[in-house]
Amino acid sequence: MYQSIRNSMEQSAVGFIPGKRGDNMFLGLDVGGTFTDGVVVADGKVVSMVKTPTTKENLLQCILTVVDKMVEDTGSKAFERIALSTTIVTNAIVEGNIDQVGLCIMPGPGMNLKDILPVAPYILSGYIDHRGREMAQPNKEEVLSACRHFSSCDVFVVSGKFAVRNPCFESAVTDWIQEQASPMHISAGGKVSGSLNFLRRTNSAYYNGAVWRHFNAFATAVEEALKMRGIYSPVFVLKADGGTLPLSVARNYPVEAIFTGPAASTIGIMGMNGDAAVSGISLDIGGTTTDIALWQKGRPVLAKEGAAVAGHRTGVQGFRLKSVGIGGDSLVFWENHVLKVGPMRHGPAMAAGGPKPTVTDAMVAAGFIDFGDRALAVKAMMLLALQGQSPEAMASQVIDKAVDGICQAIADLLDEQAAEPLYHVEEIVCETKFVLENIIGVGGGAAGLVPLVAKKLGISYTLPENGKVANAFGAAVARPTIAITLRADTAEGHYTVPELGIKNRLPRGNFSLQNTYELAEKHLAELAQRNSISVGETQIVQSEEFNMVRGFTTVGKIMTCRLQVKPGVLQYGEEELC
Amino acid sequence: MLNAQKLGLVFFPAFDWAISPTHPEREERLLYTRDQIVEEGLLDMPAIREYKPKIANLQDLERVHVGVPDITSLITNAHLVSAGGAIAAADAVMKKEVQRAFALVRPPGHHAMRIVHGTRGFCTINMEAIMVEYLRRTYGINKVAIVDTDVHHGDGTQDIFYHDPDTLFISFHQDGRTLYPGTGFTNEMGSPNALGTTVNIPLPPGTTDRGLHEVLDHLIMPILGDFKPDIIINSAGQDNHYSDPLANMAITAQGYARLADTLKADIAVLEGGYSIEDALPYINVGIVLAMAGMDYSKVIEPNIADCPSQTSSVTHYIKDVIKERQDMWGRKEKLQREAIMKHGEFWQTERSIYYDDVGINEQQKERVRLCPHCSGYVTIETKARSSLHYKTAYIGMIPQKACPVCLKAAYDVVHAAKKQGNYQHYMVQNKQKDRLERL
Ligand SMILES: [Zn+2]
Ligand SMILES: [Zn+2]
Repeated sequence: MYQSIRNSMEQSAVGFIPGKRGDNMFLGLDVGGTFTDGVVVADGKVVSMVKTPTTKENLLQCILTVVDKMVEDTGSKAFERIALSTTIVTNAIVEGNIDQVGLCIMPGPGMNLKDILPVAPYILSGYIDHRGREMAQPNKEEVLSACRHFSSCDVFVVSGKFAVRNPCFESAVTDWIQEQASPMHISAGGKVSGSLNFLRRTNSAYYNGAVWRHFNAFATAVEEALKMRGIYSPVFVLKADGGTLPLSVARNYPVEAIFTGPAASTIGIMGMNGDAAVSGISLDIGGTTTDIALWQKGRPVLAKEGAAVAGHRTGVQGFRLKSVGIGGDSLVFWENHVLKVGPMRHGPAMAAGGPKPTVTDAMVAAGFIDFGDRALAVKAMMLLALQGQSPEAMASQVIDKAVDGICQAIADLLDEQAAEPLYHVEEIVCETKFVLENIIGVGGGAAGLVPLVAKKLGISYTLPENGKVANAFGAAVARPTIAITLRADTAEGHYTVPELGIKNRLPRGNFSLQNTYELAEKHLAELAQRNSISVGETQIVQSEEFNMVRGFTTVGKIMTCRLQVKPGVLQYGEEELC
Repeated sequence: MLNAQKLGLVFFPAFDWAISPTHPEREERLLYTRDQIVEEGLLDMPAIREYKPKIANLQDLERVHVGVPDITSLITNAHLVSAGGAIAAADAVMKKEVQRAFALVRPPGHHAMRIVHGTRGFCTINMEAIMVEYLRRTYGINKVAIVDTDVHHGDGTQDIFYHDPDTLFISFHQDGRTLYPGTGFTNEMGSPNALGTTVNIPLPPGTTDRGLHEVLDHLIMPILGDFKPDIIINSAGQDNHYSDPLANMAITAQGYARLADTLKADIAVLEGGYSIEDALPYINVGIVLAMAGMDYSKVIEPNIADCPSQTSSVTHYIKDVIKERQDMWGRKEKLQREAIMKHGEFWQTERSIYYDDVGINEQQKERVRLCPHCSGYVTIETKARSSLHYKTAYIGMIPQKACPVCLKAAYDVVHAAKKQGNYQHYMVQNKQKDRLERL
């Protein structure tokens, strides 16, 4: 349906008209696979909460249902902002609802990527080396013939090895394609992700291009519909790393909107948990899965590897999470005399009128939670019970199985974290093991299962109020973030900021790591302003400094610094727009 | 295991360790390699699994080395992590989690000998040797082949295994008359009980991929086929590259990748290689791809045009070396009988060893019993002099498979030496008990 509004896309990019603001109301929406949740948070408190089935074939419908209800609840249309956590990009990819992309790469020497990328690329000559030096120029004729090769494509992707060290070739090729084919959109690898990893950047840029039209149509539909209802709040989209992007920016980087569900709940937990600086895990126990996140001193741990889509790793950064196929609605059954829990789901619990026994039925039968019809839950356990086994005994066997499954996944996640490679002697020698102190439980199944998991692990737990809508809460309060990578090479005398497509000369004289931070701050502020984000507090995500020695003298330094607007929870009253 | 990945990669660049700020062995030596590996996306490949190094312990070190006065005062934590990286690679292979492994670690180790007074040729402890003895101790591996492909002679590894008939040590390198450490000639073949299990192949400066592969195909691979080792280790030095500043060979990244592909080592451990910007990123990616069974044909250095071609005199020289070494390998049993006849009960040698790092001169007298029942106990008398120190020790060494006579004799001679009191330290490295004893 929202394809029909596509024509008006250009005009709608205007953004919002400042209306009456100051109620400090943040509206968060989590468009999940089964339900769409919405909350309005004012002064840190949930003032409205709505749940409606997700209308898969027309997402706009459920979004508007929730928004309308919230306008009714709060009697206001003056939301500070509306933030969406949506599966639209993930689903589009999973369902193959993506566009054909003209994928042009400049791989230079190295691994043969021919059969590794999601689609067959057109290989262009020209390449940059690891220092950002231009080793061979790209060839315009080749680019023109690539355009002919991809004549049926409306979207192009350009990605070059080490483009993050020198974006010139990616820019040149982008310009040539623009001239020759004038496609609707061109994604460049270095702008989609500023980190090293040509493969992930190329995958990111590919998916970015492939979902671009679909996402933009959706974005336009959302903006139009809100406008028709007289709501002029700015719309943001959640990212996998828990930050948010203004919808107008997300239009160019839709791939950033993949895997936002778990990120939303993680940020939601952060918001609900306040400043408690404990280390541990959070469990978001839903109907079909349990999402586990790792926390260090009150902050979720970021994953070093990028999110994978359809088996291809991207440069999209996310939290270190593990998902296990055990939730409240997980099917419980016997297979070759072995009791199994999940990962499949056959409708709701029998206690709620479902067809088959579930984990929730066991919880109800065992008396851990009060939900639905207890008699039906007991019946469910009787269906499973072996000869002479009481339904209660069966229920506790099911619960043990589910708890064991979750504990195993927690152990796996901790193992993964411990196996993370380290590249400094100091880090290895002084490595401290991750210590679990606390579990924070959210989601529909948390009240029953989290205490049992905590008991088994011998640690404490907390169940935040409103934990059932942690996702939507997270979307509501997630702070807008943005990051840049600045790399200065004083021997070569230049620096690059790939996200901005910049390669500039360094100022003369001594240039220190401190100068690098300052320069990065400046460019981050610039990018933030362009994206209507308040910079506020920034943090250095990564920083590195190496001397370059030639012969036996130091000829320069290579300094890298990745700086970001600190992700986290919006402080109430925080000025979020420039 | 059906789903074992092809290659386990232990990448440990030790970004916070250097011999000194401008030394070739310094913090950024593997920086560009890291950049290239990460940029390629190699670590995302399903055929490759990255491992974290372990930390080697004192027992792992003293199974191989005798430090004077002790090993811990001579090393840094980086050495423990580098050796631990090799051990982690070995474990991954032995547990069949991966088919092969590459420990891309620093600092290197192949110039470190049994007795350690300090650092020589950038090496203080020998990562491969520590790994080999760990493999023997932990997994009961017996026959080991080490192929040293560094441009420098692996004199440390040679020294450690010179009396061990179960360890085949093959080293090709730029001729010792033209390069550090000045050893590795064809007549260094192992002491009489292990004669033939040390194979040195000195190559002329200017050897290219062509010469190298000639040696590999016609000499090294057939010898490995004869020896039938339980495991093949590659001391993967990368300073044969045409752009390396420390040597004069002309091997390319393709040459190295094809070498890894042909050799099919179970475990490779990085050694030297100091063309850190122009060569290492390409060589390492080539080796990783080859070991992972992936296509490496597109790994080509940007400045490949600078690589010289092989002169005909080099080609002839190499043909002669191959011929000579083939003959020696064929006659090794006869040579061994002759050597044992000639030397009687003991084989001994005296030599001086120079530690270039701090200017230590060491005088060593080494004696090995030519026992008919085992590889024989060894004694080493060492005196090391520098501007700061004068350190001496008398050391007995008992092989793991020592016979009772050698076991007892080793203790007896060290006790006797102690009575005379000419040395500062008296030690017995007892490989049967897996411990170093101070008497
Ligand atoms: Zn070397
Ligand atoms: Zn004996």
